[in-house]
Amino acid sequence: MANVRLTNIRKSFNKTEVLHGISLDIASGEFISLLGASGCGKTTLLRMVAGLETVSAGNVEIDNRDVTELPPEQRDIAMMFQSYALLPHLSVAENVRFPLRMRGIGNRDEQQEKVKAALETVQLGHLGERKPRQLSGGQQQRVALARAIVSTPKVLLLDEPLSNLDARLREDMQVELIEIHQRLKLTTIFVTHDQEEALSLSDRIVLLNAGKIEQQGTPDEIYNQPATGFASNFIGSANLVPAEIIDGANGPVAKFADGQLLSLDAQEKTRGAATIALRQEDLTLSAKGSGPKARVRTRVFLGARNRYVMTLAGHPLRALTANDLEFADGQDVVLSIDPARIRVIRD
Amino acid sequence: MNDRTENLLLALPGILLLGLAFFLPIAQMLLLSISGPDGPTLSHFVRFLSDPYYLNILWRTVRLSLLITLICALIGFPLAYIMTKVGPKLRLWLVVMVILPLMTSVVVRTFGWMVLLSRSGLIPEMLRDMGLVGRTFALMQTETAIVIGMVQVLLPFMALSILGVLTRIDGRLEEAARTMGCSFLATIRTVVLPLALPGIVAGSLLCFTLSASSFVTPNLLGGTRIQVLAASIYKSVTATPDWPFAAAQAVILFAGILLVLAPYIKLTGTKHG
Repeated sequence: MANVRLTNIRKSFNKTEVLHGISLDIASGEFISLLGASGCGKTTLLRMVAGLETVSAGNVEIDNRDVTELPPEQRDIAMMFQSYALLPHLSVAENVRFPLRMRGIGNRDEQQEKVKAALETVQLGHLGERKPRQLSGGQQQRVALARAIVSTPKVLLLDEPLSNLDARLREDMQVELIEIHQRLKLTTIFVTHDQEEALSLSDRIVLLNAGKIEQQGTPDEIYNQPATGFASNFIGSANLVPAEIIDGANGPVAKFADGQLLSLDAQEKTRGAATIALRQEDLTLSAKGSGPKARVRTRVFLGARNRYVMTLAGHPLRALTANDLEFADGQDVVLSIDPARIRVIRD
Repeated sequence: MNDRTENLLLALPGILLLGLAFFLPIAQMLLLSISGPDGPTLSHFVRFLSDPYYLNILWRTVRLSLLITLICALIGFPLAYIMTKVGPKLRLWLVVMVILPLMTSVVVRTFGWMVLLSRSGLIPEMLRDMGLVGRTFALMQTETAIVIGMVQVLLPFMALSILGVLTRIDGRLEEAARTMGCSFLATIRTVVLPLALPGIVAGSLLCFTLSASSFVTPNLLGGTRIQVLAASIYKSVTATPDWPFAAAQAVILFAGILLVLAPYIKLTGTKHG
C-alpha cells in the first residue's frame, strides 16, 4: 500500500505530444479510475506508472520515492492486462506463483500457501493444475487478478481488465474487484473507457480528454456536476444542445435556435450563448402538453427501456423512456424535464 | 465412393512420387549395404564398426554437427530476438544479410573462406600480427575451419526457424513478466526461451541434419586429413570403388541422425500435446 504522485507528466511519440502535463495525487489505498475515450492517453499514463513506457518529462513517485528512471521490475507494482497476459507454458498455479518466485517472496511452502489463498479469493482453487488455454475467458481473467494481488504490490494497475468479458461476467467481476479492494486496501489505478465501470468501482474518477485532465472528482461529483460539455457528454452521455440563455417571465429560459423555449432553474446565473446538457434518462416525453417539441426520428427497443432518437432545433436528441411509451417515427413529442436536472455550460 | 477412398485417391500422386523419389532409393541403399559376393552379409557394417579409423570419422561427424548446431543456436536466438524488436525495414535487411550466404554457390563461398583462413590469409595473418597466436598457427584444414564455414551456411536455418516462433509470441507477456519482478534477462530466461523452444528445436533439427550430411564445405575446409562421414562415403565410391561399403556407411549416417533426432521429436511432440 502506497501513495502515487504524478507531477507534470508529458509524453511525446515521434514529436506528437499525447500527454500534456498531467499531475495527479493518488492517496494510499485509493481506487482511482482513469476514464476516457480511446486515444486519450489513459493507457499510456498507466504504462508510465508501471515503467513500461518512458516519460518525456515529469516525475513518477511511488510511496514517496522517485521511480521515474526505475525499470518495471524494481517498482513493486502489479499490472493486469486487457489480454490477461497469462504465461501459456505455465500452469495456473505456476502463473500465480510467478511474481512471488521472481521477487523472492517467502520460501516455497509460503509461496504455495499464498497461491492457494489468492486462487481461492477468485474462486478458482480447484483449477491450479490446468494450463491457461484450458480455461474460459472469465476464468483466465480471474487467474490474472489472482496473479496481480498475490504479491500484495504497492500499486495495482488494471488496464481495461473487464472489456473482453460478456455483460454478466463483467458485473460479477466488478463486485469481486470492489470486495477485493475493500479487503486488501491496495492502491489501485483502473483504466477504462466504460463510464459505468468507473462510476461503480472508483473512489475517484479522473476524466481524461486528449491528453489532459478534463475533470476529477468522486463518481457522484462527476456524474451530477460535470464541469464541461465533454464531461457531461461522456458521463451519462447527455445531449448537448446550444442555446441562448435569456430572462423569461418566470426566471431564466433557454432559447433554442428554432425559437423554442425551455425553463431553467431559477438559480441559474449564466446568460448569453451556452450549451444545455440534457441527460437521456432525465427527459420525459409526452404526446400533449406545453414545452419544447422534438420530432421522433427512430425508436430503439432496449428491452427494459426504449430509446428515442429525436431532432430538437436541428440537433440530435436522445431520451431513455419506459418501454411502453409508443411514439411513431416523424411524430412531434413534447419534452419535459426537471429544471434542476438541466446543466448549463457556458461556451 | 466414401471419404476415405476419395482422400486416398487424392493423395495417390503424392504418395507415388514420395515412393519413387524417396523410399525406393533408401530401400536400394539398404539392400546394397548388406549385399556381398555370397548373398546377404553384415560384413560391411562389421568392418566399419571395428575399425578405429572409421569410428573416429563417425565420432567427428557427430561431434562437429552438435557443436555447429549449438553455435548456430547461440548466435541464432539473440539474432532472431533482435529481429523481432527492430522495425520492419531493419528486420528485412537483417533477414537478407542472414540468408545472403545461401544465395551464393557453396563452392564459391567455401573458396572465399579458404582465402580468408589459409596460412597467409587475412585472419591468421591478422591474429599473428596482433601477437595473439604463434608462428605455426593455422586455421585451414582444421576442425575450426569446418565449424566456421558450416555455421555461416546453417545460421539462416536456425535464425529463421526461431524468428517464426518469436514473432508469434505476444509482446504483452514480456511486459507482464517485467511488472512481476523479472529483469530483462530473467524475462528472456523464464518467458521468451521456453516459448521459443519449438523454434529452437526445429532449427536444431535442420542444422544437425544438414551439417551431419554435408560434404563440400567440410571437405574443402578440413582437407583430406580431417574427414567427415559424407567425405568418407564419397571416397569409398570414387577411389576404391566399394559401393556396398559406401552404402553401409550411408546407412550408419542415416541411423545415427535418426538416433539423435528421436528424443528431439519426442520433446516437441509433448510440448504440443
